[in-house]
Amino acid sequence: MSSENNISLSPSSICHYLTKYSFFGYLACRLMTIVETRALSKTFRSGLIRSSRVEALKAVDLSVTRGEIFGLLGPNGAGKTTFVKILLSIAYPTSGDAQVFGHKLGAIHIRKKSGYLPENHRYPPFLTGLQTLLLFGGLHGLKGPSLMQKARSLLERVGLKDWMNVKIKRYSKGMLQRLGMAQALLNNPELLFLDEPTDGVDPVGRKEIRDVLKDLRAQGATIFLNSHLLSEVELICDRVAILDKGQVLRVGTISDITAPQLEYEIQVVTPLPQRLVDSIGLVAKNVRAEGKLLHVAVPDTRALNQVIDLLRRDGIFIETLTAKRASLEDYFIQVLKSGEAT
Amino acid sequence: MKILSMIIFSVREAILRGTLIFYFAVGNLIILFVALAVNASPDGSSIVVLGNPIPAKSLMGVSPVDFILIQLQRSSASAIMFLGIFAIAGIIPSMLEKGTAELFLSKPLSRTTLFLSRAIGSTVAIGLNILYFAVAIWLIFGVKIGVWHWGFLLSALMVVVAFAFYYSVVALVSLVTRSQALAIMLGFLFWFLAGALESRQAGLYNLWSNDIYRRTLDVIYYVTPQVSGMLQNATRLIGMNPYDRMLGPQAVSDFSIMPFVFSLLSASAIYALASWYFSRQDY
Repeated sequence: MSSENNISLSPSSICHYLTKYSFFGYLACRLMTIVETRALSKTFRSGLIRSSRVEALKAVDLSVTRGEIFGLLGPNGAGKTTFVKILLSIAYPTSGDAQVFGHKLGAIHIRKKSGYLPENHRYPPFLTGLQTLLLFGGLHGLKGPSLMQKARSLLERVGLKDWMNVKIKRYSKGMLQRLGMAQALLNNPELLFLDEPTDGVDPVGRKEIRDVLKDLRAQGATIFLNSHLLSEVELICDRVAILDKGQVLRVGTISDITAPQLEYEIQVVTPLPQRLVDSIGLVAKNVRAEGKLLHVAVPDTRALNQVIDLLRRDGIFIETLTAKRASLEDYFIQVLKSGEAT
Repeated sequence: MKILSMIIFSVREAILRGTLIFYFAVGNLIILFVALAVNASPDGSSIVVLGNPIPAKSLMGVSPVDFILIQLQRSSASAIMFLGIFAIAGIIPSMLEKGTAELFLSKPLSRTTLFLSRAIGSTVAIGLNILYFAVAIWLIFGVKIGVWHWGFLLSALMVVVAFAFYYSVVALVSLVTRSQALAIMLGFLFWFLAGALESRQAGLYNLWSNDIYRRTLDVIYYVTPQVSGMLQNATRLIGMNPYDRMLGPQAVSDFSIMPFVFSLLSASAIYALASWYFSRQDY
């Protein structure tokens, strides 16, 4: 997958530069940090006689900056849902510490300002879509005509206007997901946790959900997205972390992660002689010639120019030169395979 | 508002359960039957049931009106204690199901509030059914016979309170096991135990003469909600309970507030324990 090279101006990158160059910048950045965890760990124990332990999270350090869309990636069982549950006090950490909105875990204030769409959520089937939103709006302390108006407008926004008075038991999976999205937005959350939000949603619905998320970001909301749909994450996230077996393996902006790795594909007019490929191997790495296509990895642009000089000196005509950009999926698989945290 | 939302939701969930709909339907049939079958005699000295005058002399030591009301109160109380547990034992486990627990626990309510709102909502659903039946019967006797029996209404309130105390045990079990079936089974076990403990002097005491055994029974009796005792007292609010003599010569036959006091303390402790447990669990 290719994309243009651009300068990242995401909240996290601004924060990075502020922290790097001034003390006040550091302070400002602290204020911008909305989620911060330090060595957050969770071990589940089960069984009384032959007790078994599962380490769901191992000393996770993460921070999420105000206004960004942060993606937490990982295979099934990586600990993504546990992480979010701990931030919302649905589960408790075994050790470590975390702050959300500057409050310690467990503070009701955190849940007051957060919205959450859990994975595989189940709503009371005897309620209609509208009644469901009225119930959960009520649990947020909303009431009266303003709640009714909010519920109706959200149902319209997620495309359930015609279904609002239909019992939930008749909803499809995609419709339930849309309802879940509306439920998570009832309190105009400053921080929105979404666990696989596009699961079961058709492509049009996915696009609509992405648009809602982009709107929310434009309004200043922070979005924490758990997903294993990497293409989705790549489209909307500013920063991602890769979690595997409870450990954070990588954190970075999408552009950093998928930046050109100084790998190039050079399309030439005539097949390359082996002698020339060998001499290119002296200045470049991973040299691979496939007919009229040459793959090279170089340490810098100087080395790339040396490769071009060698080709031209041998009278080879170059047709195209393409910088290879790794997709998030390539990177994800590579990181999981190496399994090492950086 | 948050608490009220949760209570209303729980009431709604409970009254939509088939068991309570069945109770409500049967209750209405009984109300209709009583409305049609019970009348005052033309001279107003006695009551007529299905066209047969019931003489004013006492039945099992109580007046005919008291006797009929006691039968209705005992039947409805027993039915609701039995069916009510079927209806609402699943209310707390349904909140704790995967995918639902996350939705409720991520809202800005403390877990104690969440749990107690759920328990209150369930009890209110049962209470509404009990009071609906009692008020209807009370009105029929008042309008048709001219007997406005306040003790009967009070006894219905006492049954509601007894149910709330009884439900504390079921709520704790359902919270810990997250299983409706286990909550129903252990709830009924407790129900039979409470009945046996209430009449322990005429029954369980005679199984073993050991003093430690008897003291143990006494301790269990006082630390658990005295549901049977409360229901007997609820009957005594209507009139002299004709069944007291079945409890043996030492049985108290006057109304006593003590089962209520002990049950209040015991149920409060159980609800507090359940709240404490709930606030420490991962979901």
